[in-house]
Amino acid sequence: MNVAGLLLLGLSLAAGGPGADGHLLTGARAFREGRYDEALVEFRVAQNLGAPDAAGYAGAALVKLRRPEEAVEAFGGVDAAGGDALLDYYRALACYEARLYLCADRILAGVGERSGPRIAEQARKIRADIAAELAREPGQGAIDWYLSIGSSRLEAGRPALARAYAREAQGLSERRRDGYRRSDAAALLARVERAASARGGR
Amino acid sequence: MTGAILLAAALAAADPCAPVAPAAERDPAAAAAYRRVGDEERAAGARDTAAVAYREALARDPSDAASRDALGALCRAGAAKRDPFAEGLRLMDAGDPRGAIAAFQEARVGGPDPSAALLQGICEYEIGEDRKAEPLLREAEAAPAHRDAARFYLGLVDLRLGETDAAAALFDSAAANPGFGPMASDLARAARRSGKLVLSFLAESGWDSNVILLPTGAAPSGPVGDGVYALSAAALYRPWGESGPYLRASGVLHHQFQITEFDLDGGSGAAGWQLGPDARHLSAEYDYDYRLLGGSPFLSAHRLLASGALTLGDVVLSATYSIRFESYLSSTYAPFSGVLQLAEARAAWMLGRSLWLAVAYHVGRDVVDQAYAYYSWFEQGPRAELRWQITRDLRLGLQAAVSFRPYDVLDPDALVGVKRSDTYLDGTALVEYELGDRWTARLSVEALRAFSNAAVFDYGKVVPMLGIAYALGL
Repeated sequence: MNVAGLLLLGLSLAAGGPGADGHLLTGARAFREGRYDEALVEFRVAQNLGAPDAAGYAGAALVKLRRPEEAVEAFGGVDAAGGDALLDYYRALACYEARLYLCADRILAGVGERSGPRIAEQARKIRADIAAELAREPGQGAIDWYLSIGSSRLEAGRPALARAYAREAQGLSERRRDGYRRSDAAALLARVERAASARGGR
Repeated sequence: MTGAILLAAALAAADPCAPVAPAAERDPAAAAAYRRVGDEERAAGARDTAAVAYREALARDPSDAASRDALGALCRAGAAKRDPFAEGLRLMDAGDPRGAIAAFQEARVGGPDPSAALLQGICEYEIGEDRKAEPLLREAEAAPAHRDAARFYLGLVDLRLGETDAAAALFDSAAANPGFGPMASDLARAARRSGKLVLSFLAESGWDSNVILLPTGAAPSGPVGDGVYALSAAALYRPWGESGPYLRASGVLHHQFQITEFDLDGGSGAAGWQLGPDARHLSAEYDYDYRLLGGSPFLSAHRLLASGALTLGDVVLSATYSIRFESYLSSTYAPFSGVLQLAEARAAWMLGRSLWLAVAYHVGRDVVDQAYAYYSWFEQGPRAELRWQITRDLRLGLQAAVSFRPYDVLDPDALVGVKRSDTYLDGTALVEYELGDRWTARLSVEALRAFSNAAVFDYGKVVPMLGIAYALGL
C-alpha cells in the first residue's frame, strides 16, 4: 500500500473537517497518479487549513519531487518520533537523498517489516549501501562538509536542517578515532538550539 | 473532432501556462489558500509547483489578479517548464559542457544533489577545470550510488595533476564496479607508470640485416648484417602535472656485436613548458642532443620545438614544428652540418573502444653549408599508424610511412653524378605485452627500403628486436 492508499483508508475512517480532508483526498489521488506537484499543493493547502497529518504527506511528495531538504523539514527534522511505517520510509528516503546517512539508517532500522515485504527489501538494500560506505572511518572532508552546510542552513533560518547536518557531523566524528571536530559539531548544535528557542519553534 | 478536443484538453492540462479553465463554482477563500501555497513554493524556488498552485487559485477565482500576475511571470520566465537537471543532461549530450555546468549549478541551488554534482564535476574535468571538478566529485563521492563513478573521475583529475599515487588508489577502488572495472584497472596501471617524475628503461636485442647500408645488388666485402643490443633510459619531470614546465633527459646505447664502428651512443636533455593538458595544449621546448658514433664524437645539435594538440570528440588534431642546428663533429660527416627543419600535422581517431588510427603528413628541409649544397634536401610524405588493444594486456602497433626526398643540386662528385632523389618506405610492427603494472615485453620488426636514382644510396634493411621495458612513476 503506498502513501495514497494509506491516506485514503485513513480518511475514510477519520472524523474531520471537510475542507482539509477534501484537499488531502485530492492530494492522495494525485500522488497515486504520479502528479506529485499537484499532490504537494493539495497537502500544503490541507496543512495550512490545520490538518495534523498533512505535513508528513507533503514530505512524501517532496521526496518524489527530489526536494529532500524540504522533505526533512516537512517531516519535522530528524528527531521526530516515528509513527506510520510507510511515512517513516519516506522520512528515511528524505534523509538519504539529503545525504543524512546516519539518520536514514536509524529510521530504516525501525521500519523493519512493518511496511510490508517490498518496502522492507528496499530498506535493507539502502541500509546495505550505507553500511558499506560507513564501514570505513569517515574522512575529514565529509565532516567539514556537513558542518559547513549546517552552518549555512542555520544562517538561512532553517534550524531543523541545521540540526540534522550537525547531528550527522557529530555522528561521523564519533566514528573517528581522533574525534575530528566533535567540539565544532557540539557547538553548532548548541547554536541551533539557541536559535530555535529564540524563535519559539523547531 | 472529439478526439482532437480531448487531445487538446490533455495537452492544455500538461502545459502549466495554458489558459486556465474556471471551476464549476467560484471559491475565493479556496483560491486564497492555493495562492498562499503558490507564494510559498515560489519563494522556495519550486516554480513548477508554484505554477500548479496559482492555476488552482485562478480556476476558483478568475479575478485573482495576484495569482494571474504570478503565473504570468513564471510563464514569461519559461521557468515553469524548465528542469535545470534535465537541461544540463541535454546540453551534456549535445557536447556543450559549459552550458551543462551552468544548468547543473542551478539544479544544485536548492540543496545537495549528488547526481548534479557528479555530472557537473565530469563537465568541469572535460573542459580542463580540474580544481573546480574536484570538490564536485568529492560531493558526489559521498553518495553510495555515485561513489564509484566519482572516484573514477577523481582518479582522472589526480592523474592529470600528476598525483599518481592517489590516482592509482582511486582507480583501484572504482575498479570494483563492473561498469568501470576494465578501464579503471588499466588507468591504475597507467597511473603507476605516471607521475611528476617518470623513469623508463628499455633493454632490447635483435638483428640488423644491413648495418653498413650496402646498396641493393652490391657484393659485400665484409659483414653486412649484425646482431645488435640496445639500452636506453629516460626521465621526464613535470612538477605541475601535464600543464606546466617540464624537464626531460635520456641516454641511449645502441651497439653492434661485430661492426662496432657503427655503435651509436648518446644523450639528450630538454626543457620545455606545456600550456594545458595533453588533450588540448600548446608547448615549446629546447633540446640538446649529443651523439657518439663508433666511440668518437659524431653529432652536437640544438633544437627548438613547438607543438600543439586539440581534442574534438573522438578526434585529436596535433601539429609540430622543430628547427635543429646540427654540427657533425667528425671530418667525414662535417659537410652534413646545417639546419634541419621539420613540420608535421596529424589527426588521430578512436575507432571503437580498442582501435586507434592516426594519419600524418610531414615536410622537412635540411640546409647545409653552401659549399656542400648537394647535401641539402627537401622532404615530404604521409604516415599512418594503427594501434589495436587486442586484450587488456596485449596490443599491436603498425606504422607505415613514405618520404620523398629530392636534393637541391647536382652532386659534382662523379661517384654519384646525378641530382639525387630518394624515396623511403618505412614500416614498423610492434607487439607489446604487459607483464604487470610496470613491466612490458616488446617485439618489433622495422623494415626500411630506400629507393634512389643514385644506385649507391639504394638499399634495404630489416631489424627485428626483442626487448623488455620498465616504467616507474613517482
